[in-house]
Amino acid sequence: MTISPEMRDLAQRLLAYEADADKSSRPMESVTLRTYEKLRQCLVAFAGEAGFQSIAARALMIAQVEVPSLCAVQVTANGTLQRLDDVEPQTKIDKDQSGYQKSGEDPPSEEGTILIACILGLLLIFLGEALTLSLLRNAWPDTTFDNRNSGDGRKA
Amino acid sequence: MTIEDKVKINKLPTGVPGLDEIVGGGLPEFSFNIIAGAPGSGKTTLAHQFVFANATPERPALYFTVLGESAIKMLRYQQQYTFFDPSLLPESIRFINLSQVVLEKDLGAVLEEITKEVTKSNPAVVVVDSFRTMVRKPQEGMDLQAFIQRLALFLASWQATTFLIGEYAEEELRDNPIFTVADGLFWMRQITERNSIVRKLQIIKLRGQASVPGLHTFRITNAGVQAFSRTFGLTAGRRNALGLKRLSFGIPEMDKMLDGGVREGDSVLVAGSSGTGKSVLATQFIAEGIRQGESGIVAVFEERPQAYAERAATLGLDLEKPQDEGRLEILYLRPLDLSVDETMHSILSAVQKIGAKRLVIDSLAGFEMALSPGFRADFRESLYRMIFALTGIGVTILSTVEIDESFIEFPFSTYSISFLTDDIIRLRYVSIDGQLRKIMTVIKMRGGNHAKDIREYEITSDGVVILNTRLTDYQGLISGLPVHTDLSSRQKDTLLESEAEKSS
Repeated sequence: MTISPEMRDLAQRLLAYEADADKSSRPMESVTLRTYEKLRQCLVAFAGEAGFQSIAARALMIAQVEVPSLCAVQVTANGTLQRLDDVEPQTKIDKDQSGYQKSGEDPPSEEGTILIACILGLLLIFLGEALTLSLLRNAWPDTTFDNRNSGDGRKA
Repeated sequence: MTIEDKVKINKLPTGVPGLDEIVGGGLPEFSFNIIAGAPGSGKTTLAHQFVFANATPERPALYFTVLGESAIKMLRYQQQYTFFDPSLLPESIRFINLSQVVLEKDLGAVLEEITKEVTKSNPAVVVVDSFRTMVRKPQEGMDLQAFIQRLALFLASWQATTFLIGEYAEEELRDNPIFTVADGLFWMRQITERNSIVRKLQIIKLRGQASVPGLHTFRITNAGVQAFSRTFGLTAGRRNALGLKRLSFGIPEMDKMLDGGVREGDSVLVAGSSGTGKSVLATQFIAEGIRQGESGIVAVFEERPQAYAERAATLGLDLEKPQDEGRLEILYLRPLDLSVDETMHSILSAVQKIGAKRLVIDSLAGFEMALSPGFRADFRESLYRMIFALTGIGVTILSTVEIDESFIEFPFSTYSISFLTDDIIRLRYVSIDGQLRKIMTVIKMRGGNHAKDIREYEITSDGVVILNTRLTDYQGLISGLPVHTDLSSRQKDTLLESEAEKSS
């Protein structure tokens, strides 16, 4: 499975949104982990842990082809990610880059972008665009997502 | 207590075409139902149709998935159906996975989880799919009966209409606490008949209202489950009083034979061997109805509608224009493996759509051949139900049936269906003066004083033309091998002379 520019873009937008959200209670995890965790919770609710775990493991395997450094990462039995911190760069973003400068947040890594894009890509394959976007709206209720087929004109 | 004091049970649409009629107008609100059947019988699809028909953001549907089919896979397939509206997820329809709770805990924890979600969402509809996988697991703690009773009580109290979906075999019907507690029990079957599959639905139990008993055919298409009621949705219809109106064939001599024409709402059988003009007569009957402003339906099985209309045109009958005007429909019902009920549903839909007063079925033999082998056994019974339902609302039906010509007997029909018909018109060949000529006679006319004449007719470019002279000079016409009365009397005289000689 190749990662489409649309999925990469959607992943980047989710990561950016998550980076910008909830500044008051700054979590310790990377933005990738927080985004991944939101997806996990949302999918586990309707597909179960095993259902999410199998999707996540498959997505990780595909992502590893694109970004070999992800080979160190593992998906546990309940679908959580292990050892992502070992492979994501820990450098802070320069102040002149928009989007993350205000919070001093780590930027989304290539590893994180690819992994999230792979999960979204699998959801798109299995569930189609409409249901995938429904799930994302459920996980990120405060944002809107562009549905190319719905024609409702909502934008992220 | 008057009837006004009694509680009124609301009926919810099932979302399954034909099923509302079968369950008596809709599913009782707050009922606790079970959909049972073998794998692949359509249980999940039926439940989804109900969910999509009733869920709203204010009163959503909660769809609990348990061990078995993964929700992702289920949604992948279910969204192919036309009823599946993704915009209803997740505000109106929420899928919740209980696999982990079932695997790791006991039924008490499952009940607790369902209770928590129901309390949080205030759903109008709750589905547990598959319930069977949940109860198959060896249980510690709460027993199954207590679990079922508490679940049913809780969901009814929370004003939810519930479906539990389970894979059950029919022998499990007895002594099962689940079936005892349930208000409604829907059994879906898939029966193999030679090379075809027959799907049947039975409402084994439905508290609070009368459902249509028996096995109902259903089909799964890209629109989901479609059920075909055994009564074709016409049981509740007003039955018309016996018609006084006479419907003309457009053949004056024929109308005279029928005491002025076919009585409105009658079922007429035109029986005869190949080439005797059954279809011509049927075409004239429908064309005359159109001419008199009565819409009509022709169900054909042996030729395509275009060919049927072209053949009518050779008789000077225009069937194209009334089709364009929506006063006539020619239905071609040839696809194999049809069920009787599906075929009849197509006919009934067309009848109701254009308000048809006349229906021609040409022919019963073609109709039977279009059915899957498994349904042929039900042919007579289904035909009876359809004729009863249609004539009850005042539709006049003319069916043709081919008879193997015999010169030693005079059968009316190969289907033993003469009891279904009010009127029987018999056409046959007869050998006269070295020619194969045609005769017709009215065998039966319920409630009418029909002619006793045996009339000769011809098929011309104007259709069936009844000749003016009766064949009074022949005896044994209906045998097909008549004897001229002069010859007959000579033979009789010879016989009498011979007997006289013997006695002397």
